[in-house]
Amino acid sequence: MGESSGMGSEWIFAFLIIAVIFGGFGGGFGGNNAAMAGFATMADVNASNAAQTSQLNQQSILLSSERNNYETARVVTQQTESLMNQNNTNLINAIQGFNNIGQQIMNQTNVLGSKLDQLGFNMEQCCCSIKTLIKDNQIAELTNQLNNANNIAVNSAQSQYLLGQMGKWVANASATA
Amino acid sequence: MNSLLNMFGGGKGNIMMQAFGAMMRGESPKTFMQGLAKNHPQLQGMNFDNLQSAAQDVCNKNGVDMNQKMNEIQSQFPKMP
Repeated sequence: MGESSGMGSEWIFAFLIIAVIFGGFGGGFGGNNAAMAGFATMADVNASNAAQTSQLNQQSILLSSERNNYETARVVTQQTESLMNQNNTNLINAIQGFNNIGQQIMNQTNVLGSKLDQLGFNMEQCCCSIKTLIKDNQIAELTNQLNNANNIAVNSAQSQYLLGQMGKWVANASATA
Repeated sequence: MNSLLNMFGGGKGNIMMQAFGAMMRGESPKTFMQGLAKNHPQLQGMNFDNLQSAAQDVCNKNGVDMNQKMNEIQSQFPKMP
């Protein structure tokens, strides 16, 4: 029986002396048996092992959670940078699109201006033609009125002449009768 | 094994824990009891050269059945590797 081996050694007598003399000393391990106070029972050992296992599990969970947090932060940062780059690309594309649209508006404005100029020219020509037509019509009308007046005047002169001749004939009728 | 020693205080605190820690560290029970007696008058004057005899004397003086007490101690100790 070696001195430093397990409970088969003389240690059990040492524990016995301690249990008898210091029984109930300190409590803790050993349950409710006052003489066995200070001893660890299998239940105590199992409970301690369970507690340590629980602590290890909690540490493992914390480490896992920490790794997950780092991974989450890394992914979020990566995606944020990706979104920012995409936004920058979208902004550049949008600005280029606006520039293209602006250029198209300018081109169409120039075309429209040319068409307006052409329309103005056409309108001016049309106006001139209308004025000429009105003048021609007026001239024709005046000429017609002048011809009519002339005809009237000629007729009047002929009538006066005839009347004069008839007057003469009437005045001389008795002499000739 | 280290966690088990820590559980028993690593030789500190409760006397039973100290004894258990000493046993786990491979110390001699005689040496341990002699050291313990220096700080505890209840143990002074005992002869720890023969621990079984000393235990028997303690049981006799306190009216304790030694065999029954040994069975109690052994039944409540965990089996050590």
